[in-house]
Amino acid sequence: MPSGPPAGAAGYEKRMKQIIAILRNERVEETKKALKKAGVRGVTFLYVTGRGQQKGRIRVREPIESRNWRMRMQVNGTLPAEGSSAVGALESEETRSPLPGDTEFAFGFLPKRMLIVVADDKDVNRIVQGIVNANQTGRHGDGRIFICPMISALRVRTGEQGDMALS
Amino acid sequence: MIWAVIRPESAQRVIRALDSAGIGGITRLHVTGHGREMGITLGSVHYTEIPKEMLMIVVPDNDLAKTVMIIRTEAKTGPENVPGEGTIGDGKIFVTYVEDTFAIRSAGRSGGV
Repeated sequence: MPSGPPAGAAGYEKRMKQIIAILRNERVEETKKALKKAGVRGVTFLYVTGRGQQKGRIRVREPIESRNWRMRMQVNGTLPAEGSSAVGALESEETRSPLPGDTEFAFGFLPKRMLIVVADDKDVNRIVQGIVNANQTGRHGDGRIFICPMISALRVRTGEQGDMALS
Repeated sequence: MIWAVIRPESAQRVIRALDSAGIGGITRLHVTGHGREMGITLGSVHYTEIPKEMLMIVVPDNDLAKTVMIIRTEAKTGPENVPGEGTIGDGKIFVTYVEDTFAIRSAGRSGGV
């Protein structure tokens, strides 16, 4: 099994990282501000769906939230019929929990935003810190950040490579 | 880190199988693309943007082989349990390195993913 960094492609110095973060949709604006503060100019956001170790389970407490989630479940087709067992997209144990109240549900996949930034090695810590500060609520679903090696970058407009393509 | 491009039809099967293997964290992307065959021609229309599902899964090294094997077996169409007898368009699996992971909730390094 591979472990450790790959053998670098000839002629490239491994000095940049790709930062992939999974974020809450509602935190994207704050994240943008944080990135701007960290000096990041180029970012890519993707609409994704995902789940973590919780497998999409959330605890519904507020009645209003409960209604929202109910609507979302209807959209997803995972709304269990009253008093019957759930027939969800994922027929896991969790989807069979009875509605409503203080119950956990499995939605399978929740809408999330993926953030991709390619940055110089020395900026990575600052960017990660910025993303964490902008996104931390302390609840499940805050997301995760992955740091991957990136071999090179090229600006299509000018043909600049490496560091020059990032600045 | 595993990036798997698979058929949208097989996504649910793959996810279920990963589920029962205890692999919980998955990110899904809807993507389009084509492979070596440069798309498909149906009648007089040539399609190069074929809808696919992309799964991003980060697992510890010792779960990697298992995860790849699950995706392989579940995403393959055609005769069951016959390696190499799949269908064009079943997809591809890319494996890359993650140097570091952080859980935003606890702001901690989460080595265990």
